[in-house]
Amino acid sequence: MSIPASVRYTLAGISWPVYVLLYTPLVLVAYYSLTPHAASEWHAYQLLFSDSAVFTALQRSLILALGSASSSTALGVLLGYGLARFRNRHGRGWLSHLPGLIIYTPIIMPSIVFGISELIFFNLVHNATGLFAAGLQTMMIAHITFQVPYVALTVFARLSGLDPNLFDAAHDLYADGVKSFIHLILPVVQPAIIGGFLLGITLSIDDFTISFFTAGPGSVTLPIYIYSAIARKGVTPEINALGTVMIGTIIIMALGHFFITSRRERAGHFAARGNLG
Amino acid sequence: MKRAKTEVELEAGRQRRRLMASSGPGLAWIMLFLILPSAVLLGIAFFSSDDYGNPVMPLSTQAFGQVAGYSLLGWDPGNILVFLRSLKQAGIATLVSALLSYPLVFFILSQRPSLRPLLLLFIVLPSWTNQVVRTYAWLELLGPNAPVSWLGHTLGFLPPDLGMAPGGFAVTTGLAYNYLPYMIVPLYASAEKLDWTLVEAGRDLYASGLRLFWHTVFPQTVPGLLSGIIFVAIPAFGDYVVPQLLGGDKAMMIGSLIANQFTETPDWPYGAALTLIMLVFTAAGLVAFRVVSQKVGGAEEAAV
Repeated sequence: MSIPASVRYTLAGISWPVYVLLYTPLVLVAYYSLTPHAASEWHAYQLLFSDSAVFTALQRSLILALGSASSSTALGVLLGYGLARFRNRHGRGWLSHLPGLIIYTPIIMPSIVFGISELIFFNLVHNATGLFAAGLQTMMIAHITFQVPYVALTVFARLSGLDPNLFDAAHDLYADGVKSFIHLILPVVQPAIIGGFLLGITLSIDDFTISFFTAGPGSVTLPIYIYSAIARKGVTPEINALGTVMIGTIIIMALGHFFITSRRERAGHFAARGNLG
Repeated sequence: MKRAKTEVELEAGRQRRRLMASSGPGLAWIMLFLILPSAVLLGIAFFSSDDYGNPVMPLSTQAFGQVAGYSLLGWDPGNILVFLRSLKQAGIATLVSALLSYPLVFFILSQRPSLRPLLLLFIVLPSWTNQVVRTYAWLELLGPNAPVSWLGHTLGFLPPDLGMAPGGFAVTTGLAYNYLPYMIVPLYASAEKLDWTLVEAGRDLYASGLRLFWHTVFPQTVPGLLSGIIFVAIPAFGDYVVPQLLGGDKAMMIGSLIANQFTETPDWPYGAALTLIMLVFTAAGLVAFRVVSQKVGGAEEAAV
């Protein structure tokens, strides 16, 4: 690494303002959630915490995030494991490329196309059979669909980095498929499973467009609540208070996860270096 | 004569069954709930629409005429303008994030290794909050009565009562803000593996400044840059939330145009035809991009 000092200063001079700019809008949301002219500065928060519509929306958001992330983790781990272990990598023809193409479709497809496709599909199926009425169930299906590829790719990346001889060793020790999955694969991919699950929750919380088009009248989640409130009466202190709580929660969770995992890694690092003296 | 299967063939069959048992459910899920629905949507583009905007027989290409701007009232350039505006907005947002990403990535790399993950985390963190929240947040900065607009009024380049948002500028800003991390992460990944001996060699040959960067650093980061361009340009082109919240009527983009055909004044075949054209644009962009990136080199990592 050889960056001259003058270049370093220029880089820092451009980068710090960008960092500030990244957080300025978020800080302003928090700033405008305070109401100095009302009876209490925290008036918006009092309104927020006594608002039952917000509370049900929060419940739905949590059910959606946890439910879709656990289902997509189950599907995605199996998918990634199968592709890493059993796919014929030297196969020719379009059939051996098919799984890859299928996995990348949800990632590449613009959200608006994704959302509208599901809207039309659920609508048609509902009219024909009565199943899939628009609501939390259809949102859940859509959220699982866009999370599965990310979980699968996380697990796939972890397993592809493994020495294939490990699997043969397990086989030689008479571990059958299920046993080697439980005793060898699961422990090895555990970080990828946890990472994939958290990624699923993050993706679910981040999404608006796909949720918006698969939601029904009785399945307003927090982002949809905020969006329609802004469309109706603009940004109010109460919306800012809600935004502040959401931003704060994500930042605390992300920093918490970061410091816990990095401490664990550091501990592992020191243990490994201990042998070298 | 029936021949007994060889051990190799049996093993191949076993592998296929295991693949189906493990990967099958996930793949089937995506096919049933995304690939089939989008195929249905695209199929709808080739139907006529009834008075309620539902698709009916006979098959027709009328919807594509509507996309091109033809209606009972004659030809209108509105849709073409929306397409061009979406291309322009996505293009500028991609350019801005690429230009900001280089200094940021090398700033992070110039710090102690233990500090780098944290600096990277602080880049990515805003994108983990909900898209509606981090987008409307810009209204606080750019809307009427907001600090930036107030500055604009005082300096006299903005009429009073008007903000920087809603409008085209706010949309560009919002898109660049939303998708900046998608550029930085792949670029960081390729810059991290940079071979600095090449830079030393360039310096020994008395290259310096931008010349040194352009000939030794830049070529090595091209794979990351190319992935970043794809990850930013495609979602920015079809973005729905940013132009809806920050754009207003005059800054409409393709995403809102499509959505309107399914919500406000339904016309499914027309909306489906718009979607089809948009996907054709996206796919054509990807293919053109692959051709270019194969010429430039480093195509493996950019291939999506």
